Formats: sequence, structure tokens, C-alpha cells
Amino acid sequence: MPTVRFAAALVAVVAIHSFGVWLWPEFARSIDLFLVLTVLFARRGDTLAGLLGGLAAGLVHDVLGAGPFALHGFANTAVGYAVARLSQRLMVDRTSGVLLMTLLATVVQRTILAGLTLALLPDPVLPEPSWTALLVTTTAVTAATFFAASRRLKGGLATRRSNRSKRLHFD
Amino acid sequence: MSERQTAWLLAALLAAQLILLSVEAPSPDGPGDNVLESTLLRAVAPISHAVSTLAGGVQGLGSGWRSHRTLVEENQELRAEVDELERKLLRLDGLKSEVDRLSEALDYRQSADHELRVADVVYADHSSWMATMIVYVGEQAAEVDQPVVGDDGLVGRVVDVVPGYARVQLLSDSAAAVGAMIQRTRRQGVVRSGPNGLTLDYLPKQVDVVPGDRVVTSGIDGIYPRGLPVGTVVEVAPGEELFARIRLAQAVDFSVLDQVYLLPRRTLPEM
Repeated sequence: MPTVRFAAALVAVVAIHSFGVWLWPEFARSIDLFLVLTVLFARRGDTLAGLLGGLAAGLVHDVLGAGPFALHGFANTAVGYAVARLSQRLMVDRTSGVLLMTLLATVVQRTILAGLTLALLPDPVLPEPSWTALLVTTTAVTAATFFAASRRLKGGLATRRSNRSKRLHFD
Repeated sequence: MSERQTAWLLAALLAAQLILLSVEAPSPDGPGDNVLESTLLRAVAPISHAVSTLAGGVQGLGSGWRSHRTLVEENQELRAEVDELERKLLRLDGLKSEVDRLSEALDYRQSADHELRVADVVYADHSSWMATMIVYVGEQAAEVDQPVVGDDGLVGRVVDVVPGYARVQLLSDSAAAVGAMIQRTRRQGVVRSGPNGLTLDYLPKQVDVVPGDRVVTSGIDGIYPRGLPVGTVVEVAPGEELFARIRLAQAVDFSVLDQVYLLPRRTLPEM
């Protein structure tokens, strides 16, 4: 079930990313939805799921032209594993915690990407610092917003279920 | 799977991807081609296509709701444009007849007209590190190294094909290189993309080139036919050592492309 949920979420991220790029050419430079998915999925604490989720999300991001194939795959695999390991030690269940975790994950990811670009690519061109800062901020805020919204939705559903079961009387 | 096994799997995956990156890192020949990337492209391209079709449809619906007066004005403008184009076409037909007549007299064979195939742009990201575009080509598959052009000039070339779709390396990609020449003087160089946009490299400092000169493909790189507009010279400065530093404004605005045209792939004669 988590695999199916992740696959569905990845399809949704591809659709939203494609729409975003269609709407605004700089969209890909301003937010990394694939990293949001990686972090939120790895937050559950399962290292295997974290690294495989990061791998899948990163490779799909590469296919959409974000870089040489396996560039984001490498970075997101490492970040997914790291986030899962961190989540095993720290209980991150507040929005501010998710915001900080995603902020850190994005900074680490960007550092890995910059390192690989400088080390492996001929004539490397790094993104401008202002765009990187924007991407780090928007990615973290998006992850935190999605986390808060999904938690509220789950809470609302749980309350409704509990109210419904209270109304059932068996005499 | 135990934590130790997961850590080993992590190391193996990272090592495999590092090897893949080292092998596939962009070269002047363009991005590499591997089965995994093609498979993922085959899965991802239809999603982007669906999104761009839906978004384009909604946009078309929105733009359809215009006032009668706006439509009448637009209709008049379009009629005037059609009249002008018909006059131009007549002039061009006349010129072509004269060229054919003169060619025949000189016993000179011209190159065949380019056959254009239309392809819809379903995803275009020219702001990321690798400027690429995914186009929908339909049932007839595209070929790797097919030149891609827009209404105003050269767009790039096909670097990867999957059923129904093709990935195009844009001219603005850092790994792209095009054999080009200054149309006025026929001096040849190589157009590449850098941090400040397109540049025309390997022209000596004393070369006759001024801002405003048109740059077109030279046809010597074996990929692009001769004469496709690449850009216009905007700045000429003395570079380091022997060569001038020539900056170009590209002919095609990638941000407004929704359709491109695929040219037949060139096959060089065997020597």
C-alpha cells in the first residue's frame, strides 16, 4: 500500500511540476516538489523506503531535464536515507519540525548537486544564489504546508468517524 | 531488510549512480542514452502531455470568451496579414522561378526543400541546468540527431526517442554546440551556450563582424543543414588570446514555443 501511495503521489508531483513549468518557465528553479515528496515519505522512518523513494523521485526529476541522468537521483537517494535515519531518532510530528527538516534536507541536496556538478560536468554552471535561496525556502514551506494540511484532514476524518460510531446504539 | 543491509544497498545505489553520471556526463555530443532513462521518459512524457493538453485547452476556452468588437478587430488584422503574406508569396514564387531558370542554365543542382514534421511541445524546461524539451511526435517515431526548428529559427536537436515522444536538446543547453557562420561574410565558427547566453566562438579577433550581423548554421557539423537562423550578433569584444568574444541574441524565444518542426536527419555520404 505505501508503494501504491508513493507511486500515485509521484504521478501527482509530475503533473503539478509539468503544469507549473507550463505556467511559469522559472518554476523548476523556484521549487523542488520531488524533494518535498522524498522528505515527506522518508519522514516515516523507514530507511529502505526513504532511499528507494528518493531514488525514484530523483530519477524522474532528472528525466524531466533537471540535469544529467542520475544527478538528482544520487542526491535524493542520499537525502531520503538521511531523513529516514534522522526520523528514527527524532520524533518530528510538528509543522515547524517538518519545516526545519525540509530546509536542512534541501540545503544538503543543493550542496550535493553543486559538488557533483563541479566535479563531473565539463563547463559547470551553478545556479544563482538568489534562486537557490528561493528554492530552499519554497520547498520547505511547501512541505510544511502539505504536512499541516494532511494532518488536519486526517484529524477531521478521525473526528467524524468517532462521532459516527458514538451515534450507533445497539440495544 | 536489516539496517546494515539497507546501508549496503545505499552504498551500492550511490556508487552505481556515480558511475552512471561519470559515463553519461554531458559532452559536446549531447546527453547519453540509456535504457532506464528511456523507460522513465516513456512513463513520464504522457503525464506531461496530458497536463499541457488540458492546460492548453482551458487557456483556449478562456481566450475564446472575448467581446465581439475584439473579434472583429482581430479579424481585420488577420485579413490584412493574410493579404500581405499572399503578396509576399507571389513575389517569392517569382523569385524561385527565376532561380530555377538560372540554376538550369548553369547546370547547378539545389538542395531539396526541407520536409517539415510538426511536433507539439508537451514539456519545456529551459531554466534548469540542462535545457531540454519533450515533444509529441505521434505514431511516426523521431530519430536521434534530427534537427528541430521553430518559426524563427533553430531550436535544437533530438537526443532521445521513445514511442510517441522525443527529447530535444535545446540550443541554450550548456552541452549544445552548432557549426555556424556569419551570413554576411560566411566566416565560420561554433555557437555554444554559456552563462551570458549564446556565443560564437573560434573567430579570430580581426574578423569582420558587427552587432546586427545574422548568424546561421553552416551545415558542416553533419547535423544541421545550412542556412537555419541561429541568432543575431549583439556584442563584439576582444577575447583572450587569439579569438574574439561574440555574444548572440538567439533567434527563437523558447518560452513561447508550443509547436516545433522536425527536419529530416542528415546522413553524410560514406567516403
